[in-house]
Amino acid sequence: MKLTTMWKDALGSLIKPAATQRYPFVRREAPEHLRGQLHWDPSACTGCGLCSKDCPADALEVIVLDKKAKRFVMHYHVDRCTFCAQCVASCRQGCLDMESDEWELAALDPRTFDIYYGNEADIASILDGSTEEEAEPAAAG
Amino acid sequence: MQSQQGNKFTIPIGPQHPALKEPEHFEFNVDGELVTGASVRLGYVHRGIEKGTENRSFVQSMYLLERVCGICSHVHATAFCLGVERLAEIEAPPRAQAIRVLVAELERIHSHMLWLGVGAHEAGFDTLFMYSWRDRETVLNLLEDITGNRINYSTNVLGGVKCDIDREQAAAIRQGLDFLEERTTHYLDVVTSDMMFLRRTRGVGVMTYDESQRLGAVGPTARASGVARDLRVDAAYAAYDKYPVNLVTETAGDLEARFVVRIKELFESFRVIRAVLDDLPEGDLTTRMPRRVKEGDTISRVEAPRGELFYYIKSNGTDTAERVKVRTPTLPNMASVLTLAVGHQLADMPMILVGIDPCFSCNDRMVSVKGTLDSQCWTWEQLRQYGIEYYR
Amino acid sequence: MNTLRAVIALLFFPGGLFILFAGMAYEWVDRKLIARFQNRIGPRWFQPLADSIKLLAKEEVIPTDVNAILFVVLPVIALAGALASALYVPIIGLEPSYSFSGDLIVTLYLLSLLTLCTGLAGANTLDRFSLVGATRALTQMFSYEAPVLLALLGPAIVAESWKISVISEYAKSHWLIITQPIGFLVAVIGLMGKLEMPPFDAPEAETEIVAGALTEYSGRGLALFHLGKSVELMVGLTLVTAFYLGGVANPLLFFAKTLMLLVVVAGVQSLLTRLRIEQTVGLWWRYGALLALAQFLVMIAYEGVA
Repeated sequence: MKLTTMWKDALGSLIKPAATQRYPFVRREAPEHLRGQLHWDPSACTGCGLCSKDCPADALEVIVLDKKAKRFVMHYHVDRCTFCAQCVASCRQGCLDMESDEWELAALDPRTFDIYYGNEADIASILDGSTEEEAEPAAAG
Repeated sequence: MQSQQGNKFTIPIGPQHPALKEPEHFEFNVDGELVTGASVRLGYVHRGIEKGTENRSFVQSMYLLERVCGICSHVHATAFCLGVERLAEIEAPPRAQAIRVLVAELERIHSHMLWLGVGAHEAGFDTLFMYSWRDRETVLNLLEDITGNRINYSTNVLGGVKCDIDREQAAAIRQGLDFLEERTTHYLDVVTSDMMFLRRTRGVGVMTYDESQRLGAVGPTARASGVARDLRVDAAYAAYDKYPVNLVTETAGDLEARFVVRIKELFESFRVIRAVLDDLPEGDLTTRMPRRVKEGDTISRVEAPRGELFYYIKSNGTDTAERVKVRTPTLPNMASVLTLAVGHQLADMPMILVGIDPCFSCNDRMVSVKGTLDSQCWTWEQLRQYGIEYYR
Repeated sequence: MNTLRAVIALLFFPGGLFILFAGMAYEWVDRKLIARFQNRIGPRWFQPLADSIKLLAKEEVIPTDVNAILFVVLPVIALAGALASALYVPIIGLEPSYSFSGDLIVTLYLLSLLTLCTGLAGANTLDRFSLVGATRALTQMFSYEAPVLLALLGPAIVAESWKISVISEYAKSHWLIITQPIGFLVAVIGLMGKLEMPPFDAPEAETEIVAGALTEYSGRGLALFHLGKSVELMVGLTLVTAFYLGGVANPLLFFAKTLMLLVVVAGVQSLLTRLRIEQTVGLWWRYGALLALAQFLVMIAYEGVA
């Protein structure tokens, strides 16, 4: 039976630096294997869509423009993503990669959560298509 | 001073209360500071997870079930994976099983250290709370480095695991464990010898062996009352037969014993993790998993940090489960809180409540709808009509 | 001229504004020290001020079924009591602004006003946590008040005066911590009990009864109670330092002494577990009161002989 068992910790802490950090001013380095924002490498993609099928959070859409010419666009909803990396495990071609240090993904503007990967011209055509969808339904298909 | 039942003065704890980190409602009848009666109302955090699995594939369901509990997420996914793998008649490779055990034990460390802090905070010993949570960061950082996430690790896939342990990570784990072992020894000393802390734990909330059997307590709560029951020993799953665990029990059954059991389990976890790292089988991380799972049903039981976790999985031959039933360890332990509460001081209530390491969101599996129908069985149309009437 | 002096003493220095800011500074030191003991960074220097401004700017919700006048007035009385007591104690080692024979008793009463108001505020509302908190606060007050009174009367007996200025003048040449260690201990721990600091925070134990007697308070009322507590921390530290740690002195030295005392208080706060209310009462009546009484009797006997 002792009265104060933690005095050594308490006194030691007076000379030690604090364990807490002033977060936005001090950032801890992200560990090597951290799962951050998803990245897609289109070169090997076959457009099989397994990644979006297995995604538990409905965060991935593979938009197939032309399967033969390998024109795919990946629509990634960062806000829905739970960083489980099932898509990375499901992809047989190894096109998806989650190990990155992009983890500060909070934003005020919801549009920043919609990320398109792929050929810029293809993305532009999809974005145009979605805006003109109502005017010209035929063009969207 | 309106009291609900006659002349009793009722102190409500929850659904919103600083002692509870999750919403749940307890009512304690008090006579001055003495508690004379206790009741609980569960169901504030019912999320319809079991229903949710019915329109998700097995792969997607695993991630949903992982989120049943925020603290013991890996063990839920493991229970589900082991069950589904048994149904599909495949077995994850030995290396995957070993990594499952490794992550499960790291998770147990994180869960028990979290509990130690919460228990100390409820007793009003915030310094122990701060230090145990500071040291818990060590194990969280290790998990983050192994799996990529701090809480919902998503280590499992059906048929194996995603993350491998390389030499550097193994060295980092060993280093972290050495630090944690030193700190845990210190905490064991604190909870067994600090005079002021013992005034709040020794002899408080004593549950005898017979009582714990009668109330159906599980996990460390039961082990603190001398019940030698641990699924890692009794029905070794994953790779626990290769890395055996020694059972930790105490006989006192009071809050101090629960602190001691959990802290001693930490040493057991350190030992098992070192054993896994020393003898990690080589080989693949995954086996091929069929999308459609054969028809049949199975029961999968694992030892979560809080006690026995039970899964019942029924497959109808498609890629979606027909029925998944989850029973988390908090539910069987809840009866002990209500029984032990009577006769204690109001000040001991948060301690007794936290003594079972409750996880309320985990245990809210069902809501019972009180309607005009007598039947327990409602059709979708009736439920819909009830909803319309309710919100009118 | 006299009126001007009175106004300055009441509103600016040493009463009023100065004591408010000094109280907040002491509160910051207390919080920062506890944070450092717990290996945290702790609040920045303006945090108590920011808290107060924020609370003062917020809406004050007056619950239904309470006596609204009492609800509004009680925090004012609590703060006023704490501020008034500052006029009779040697703040930062200076002579007290006002002094009369028997001001020690008045000061002790003024210091108790805060707890009394807290208790009444809790009893005034219908909230169950408030009622339990109020019961606990008043129970605790009755347990520490007598021993603390005895502990502070010790110096008064040896100085043969009820005047704080005379006692602190006497204490200048006699370090009473050496001759009356029990009194010092009881006074410091009593101060912690008065301020409901851990381990005597059962009346506001957040894991049991939310915020105790002040559960229903918000905005201005809460801010005033908090300020009252900060002021009382400063006044209490000053009183104990003046009585037991060498009396009035060079302001800087005096300030250093109060800070040292605060370090001890913060250490005790972070190292001990909260006592249940019946344990608090037991501690005070079984040990605190008896020890203080024993020392008191020894002192009287000694005085009688000498």
